Amino acid sequence: MSTNHNHDHDDHAAITHDELPGYYEILEISLRELLIEKGVITADELRRQIEAMDTRTPAVGAKLVVRAWLDPEFKKRLLADGVAASAEMGVISWDDTAFTVLEDTEDTHHLIVCTLCSCYPRSIIGLPPDWYKSKEYRSRAVREPRAVIAEFGTIIPENIQIIINDSTANQRYMVLPMRPAGTEHFNEEQLEAIVTRDTLIGVTLPRI
Amino acid sequence: MSTESLVKRLPNDIGGTECSEKIQMAEREILPWEKRIHALLEILDFHKIVNTEEKRRGIENLGTEMAGKLSYYERWVVSGANILLQKGILTPDDIAKKTKEVSDRYGIKL
Repeated sequence: MSTNHNHDHDDHAAITHDELPGYYEILEISLRELLIEKGVITADELRRQIEAMDTRTPAVGAKLVVRAWLDPEFKKRLLADGVAASAEMGVISWDDTAFTVLEDTEDTHHLIVCTLCSCYPRSIIGLPPDWYKSKEYRSRAVREPRAVIAEFGTIIPENIQIIINDSTANQRYMVLPMRPAGTEHFNEEQLEAIVTRDTLIGVTLPRI
Repeated sequence: MSTESLVKRLPNDIGGTECSEKIQMAEREILPWEKRIHALLEILDFHKIVNTEEKRRGIENLGTEMAGKLSYYERWVVSGANILLQKGILTPDDIAKKTKEVSDRYGIKL
């Protein structure tokens, strides 16, 4: 029976990068140095990639949502082609990975998952939380989404249909939540602040 | 219990399977080496040297025991190493010599 490794890693939380590398880190260092020595990759492009990863936050996803809330034409473009719409915000895609934005409505709420691994729109909203990659979420989200969402403190009423969207390496998803009431006077910055990572996954709703 | 389920589902194909455990919401910081292996595999994908599908195949091929016992990024680095070996981009000797050199650098016996 497989064990979920996420809480085992609380044991490793105390290990900092000043401590001696373990087996897997030695392997990582070895692969990296070998590939650089053989000219397969360069040290500089690795540095730039880490830098790019560090800049990826849910902010771009929030900007896409807020722009869709404020600009109906952009919203149409976003729902029709997530990749093209993200490119308008400067997100460059280097392969054929599809990116689809799923619109919540009065009677439908979307949830995203990757049951096989951890596929997630990283170039739009950064790294997924550990729980998104966990055995519990991946197995239960498709079977009992309402209960899973409730564990995050969000109650989706029974009259609202929940659609679970299973991501793959070629198809990533993000939720376009409904704009909450009471935000009519919010500026863009205030709106972006309520569109958090978890609202883009669908386990919670934007709240003022 | 029949063994069919092992054949019908790879170890990572767990959508909809029995699980009564609650979602563990506590998050931890990604370790530097984990961030580096993530970046490394993204670059290899960008250059079409080891793409995402191949990395995933490498993880699926680890088998049930490793899939259960290795952490998320531990599976990535092992899969990455295996795919690079399978493609002949690195040899077993390359990795053996380099891991010895790196562990000597830290005074660690591998």
